[in-house]
Amino acid sequence: MANLLPLLTLISLLFLLPHHTLAFSPDTPTGRRILVLVDDLAIRSSHALYFKSLTSRNYDLELRLADDPKLALQRYGQYLYDGLILFCPTVERFGGAIIKEAVLDFVDSGRDLVLAADEDASDLIREIATECGVDFDEDPAALVIDHASYAVSSTEGDHTLIASDDFIQSDVILGSKAIEAPVLFQGVGHSLNPANNLVLKVLSASPSAYSANPKFTLSNAPVLTGSAISLVSVVQARNNARILISGSLKIFSDRFEKSGNEQFLTELSKWIFHERGHLKAVNVKHHKVGEVDEPSIYRITDDLEYSVEIYEWSGTSWEPYVADDVQIQFYMMSPYVLKTLSTDQKGLYYTSFKVPDVYGVFKFKVEYQRLGYTSLSLSKQIPVRPFRHNEYERFITTAYPYYGACFSMVS
Amino acid sequence: MRRGETATTTRMGPLGLLVLLLLSAISLCGAKIVYPISDSHRSAALELFSPSFESLKEAYEALRTFEVLGVEINNYRSTQACQSVLNTLGSSSSDVKDVYYALRVQKILKCDAGWENIKDVTLKLQSTICGASSLFDFYFSVGSLVLIKELDIDAEVKLEDANGVFRSIKSLGQSDGRWRYNSNNPESSTRAAGIAIEALAGVVSLAPLDVDLSLIGSVKTSIAKLFESIEKYDDGALYFDEKIVDARDYQGPLSTSLSVVHGFVALADVTSEAINVPREKLLGLAKFFLCVGMPGNAHDFYSQIDSLALLERNNFSIPLILSLPSTVLSLTRKDQLKVTLNTVLGSSAPPVSVKLVQAAVSGSKDSPIINNQELRFDSASGFHVLDSLPESADVGPYEFSFRVDLPDADISNFYATGGITKVSIYLTGLTKLEGAEIAILDSDHGSIDTKNKLELAGKNSVALSANHLQKMRLSFTLSSPLGNAFKPHQVLLKLRYETNIEHVFVIGNSGKQFELILDFLELVDKLYYLSGRYDIELTVGDAVMENSFVQPLGHINLELPTTPEKAARPPPPPVDPYLRYGPKAEISHIFRAPEKRPPREVSLVFLGLTLVPLGGFLIGLLSFGVSLKGFPTSAVPAVFAILFHLGIAGVLTLYLLFWLKLNLFTTLKILGFLGVFLLFTGHRILSHLASVSAKSKSA
Repeated sequence: MANLLPLLTLISLLFLLPHHTLAFSPDTPTGRRILVLVDDLAIRSSHALYFKSLTSRNYDLELRLADDPKLALQRYGQYLYDGLILFCPTVERFGGAIIKEAVLDFVDSGRDLVLAADEDASDLIREIATECGVDFDEDPAALVIDHASYAVSSTEGDHTLIASDDFIQSDVILGSKAIEAPVLFQGVGHSLNPANNLVLKVLSASPSAYSANPKFTLSNAPVLTGSAISLVSVVQARNNARILISGSLKIFSDRFEKSGNEQFLTELSKWIFHERGHLKAVNVKHHKVGEVDEPSIYRITDDLEYSVEIYEWSGTSWEPYVADDVQIQFYMMSPYVLKTLSTDQKGLYYTSFKVPDVYGVFKFKVEYQRLGYTSLSLSKQIPVRPFRHNEYERFITTAYPYYGACFSMVS
Repeated sequence: MRRGETATTTRMGPLGLLVLLLLSAISLCGAKIVYPISDSHRSAALELFSPSFESLKEAYEALRTFEVLGVEINNYRSTQACQSVLNTLGSSSSDVKDVYYALRVQKILKCDAGWENIKDVTLKLQSTICGASSLFDFYFSVGSLVLIKELDIDAEVKLEDANGVFRSIKSLGQSDGRWRYNSNNPESSTRAAGIAIEALAGVVSLAPLDVDLSLIGSVKTSIAKLFESIEKYDDGALYFDEKIVDARDYQGPLSTSLSVVHGFVALADVTSEAINVPREKLLGLAKFFLCVGMPGNAHDFYSQIDSLALLERNNFSIPLILSLPSTVLSLTRKDQLKVTLNTVLGSSAPPVSVKLVQAAVSGSKDSPIINNQELRFDSASGFHVLDSLPESADVGPYEFSFRVDLPDADISNFYATGGITKVSIYLTGLTKLEGAEIAILDSDHGSIDTKNKLELAGKNSVALSANHLQKMRLSFTLSSPLGNAFKPHQVLLKLRYETNIEHVFVIGNSGKQFELILDFLELVDKLYYLSGRYDIELTVGDAVMENSFVQPLGHINLELPTTPEKAARPPPPPVDPYLRYGPKAEISHIFRAPEKRPPREVSLVFLGLTLVPLGGFLIGLLSFGVSLKGFPTSAVPAVFAILFHLGIAGVLTLYLLFWLKLNLFTTLKILGFLGVFLLFTGHRILSHLASVSAKSKSA
């Protein structure tokens, strides 16, 4: 038995090894292992293009039924996946050890989530969406209807298959190439909680849209109307976890060939799985002008230089991030200096400024928050001291009369 | 915004739309009507299958799909495939599975293969059958032998112990109609059942003598049992799926259903007796394969097309699919109702008549607009056409029921049409909207204060103003093309406040007259007591209206009372994400201004002034003459006196140095030494002076 033990350890190590190498880490933000939960395994066929676009980008998809009793997100405290795709709008409860809180903890650990609801979405799916700041129309039979911008089709008469091209204006979320055709959408609309500033509307409905049950006449004014209806939204959490919430599962399917759906969703999945818009800052340096070493303290009115390098993850490597709006704050209770950093277009951002004539404990703060990018929050504490007794001006002409008076007095 | 401007024409394969219809929560099949395979499948197939094959299985799936769809197989593909067929059949060490797929590819491509090795291959296959324990061994080797037999070359292909092989395959079968893959594995599978039945059919065709009828009978019962376990979607589509899904081996419902279809079609081909599979089930299976649409994965695509091909050419029942090229018919364009009847692969059906059993407004109990009318068959286009809709047909959603009548009993026994097919049809048209006006009414006696006519076809920009004691009235009449009352689904008035707070009101109707009265006194609470400009927007839309619109009407300036303390606060306006993230305004520190100093000259003048008394003193000293009388004359006191004065001069120099460069600590240190020195010399010189003066006094 004693001889077996090292062998067993080795085997278990070997078993764990690939998980570690593939695991999600700050150095490589794109996780590879994605769990896809579905209601019906036929989704593998009907949504094959979406899955193919993921597998062709080297994601490792594991497709499971949402009520599979063997489901687990983590084992021995380690997450088994880096991303979770919930294509199971009707699931009332997940199988295995997954509950709503487990999904939210998964996101809280910085991992990504894609959630698709549909008409008749279950309470579980709605609750997860609500936790992410997205409220689906409460009427379970409501669909987004648009009598003005619907997909013209000879077989769709009820105008619930709508065409929308009201995208968020952000190259980092949707790619630099414009989405070529409108996105076709059929499903539930949602609204965003205005107090939540982490959630963004990526695809909105047109001004003539409304959310209602197409089967019954409207007796009350619809709660969701016009471009306030969000069709697809994303959340970027404070820990940089990204969430995609769509009111339609069909939007992901292979049906809408000639529409912009495939491009839209592929680009969006690149953003969700951190192939774009993930920033890191390294080599934060500051020193007095003309020196190299970082001092432990500055004196008031010193001239200093500050530099930081910022890189963006491209899915495979860190590329220099180019922008002209990175700002530094010299901060004590409130910013004393707020300056835009100059850049060499190769990822290096630098500036120089004079330390204010106020002493105390300051911070160099870079708070970089841009639409679609992960937020950078750098903070470095640095004390600032007043002049020493011998650092004041020595020969003040104005004082000469006093010296003279003393001298003549003493003499 | 008019419809023509924003409506997006999106061309999609008709199959593309199937799954979108409502009612069903199932994501794969939710369609009520399905469409046969069309040209879009052919182009999709060319895109989906990669030009070079990784394995013979992949090659076979691609070639079989192309064969069924009638897509031309290009030279590159066929040479490549033939090459691997030759390699596989030429080598004696090839895997049974590869041999099987090589023979299948050969059957399609008819490559110029040399058959010198075929006897060895046959012998090897026969020996594999004898020693086989797993279902796949049986399946591939029996299948290969059947294919070699079909090749029609003089190879002796026979299965001597057909009954024995049959029994050993049968022994893997389970009582519920499913099969095990292998005798060691207790788990049974539906897909395995299909594979086993196909293998059994192969055994039957290879048997030199007839196989025991009771054995075939038992297979038939297991087929019947298999069909009992068939699964069902809401719309009548039927499919086979595994009961227990093991993610590793699981191939999906398309693949599973394909294997079962393969099985019973093969068995039906080799036995003379009929197999009792209900025709409706075959139609259900066909619907399932069609409603999948266009699978995005090559294997699923092959499964779909191959199954449909088998369903189309099987010899006991052929499903016929009734479909409509368009379910949205415009009354303005006088669209005709057209119905087509095809086999699953889109070839035309035998001469049949299609009857429109009933057409009625969906969800209403009114009498149907059409009863029992036969559609005219237009042989040129292949459509069954309803020449004109009855005069009484107004816009609205309708439900049409069709029935396919087969001319004689022979045909009707052979084709499966599925009874009555119900289809939702939308009749659309232009509604008439007239007499629109917007008015401000005085509350107490309802007299009209201001009144504006609206041109809903053109642009409007009314400017109204009202206070909380007044009312706003919007009215118009709306009627259907036939002049009937018609209530669109969406008749909404929207008031939008300056800060983007929106209030939506539903406009009610009585008959053709639509009217909305907003009594601002009742609404003040809802409007959060916000006075100011409200934009008015009218939206009228319905699925059957061809002239749905959203139109800004203008604005109204409201004067509302001041907000009472208890009133609800207006909701925070939505934050614009683009503004939230911009760079902030730069801040630069304003340094304390240095204290104001007088000009240098002034200081110097004052310095001169302060030095004037010193100068005066020195001049006085010089002019009165310095008396050095008291200076000691004897040597020792004189030295001390000189040292004392030097010490004072040193202190003064030290002060000068302190100002120029030294700091306080060095200065005090040196001053300490100088002080002691001064104390000593001072004491000596003073004591000398004291003794001198004491002497002179005493003298």
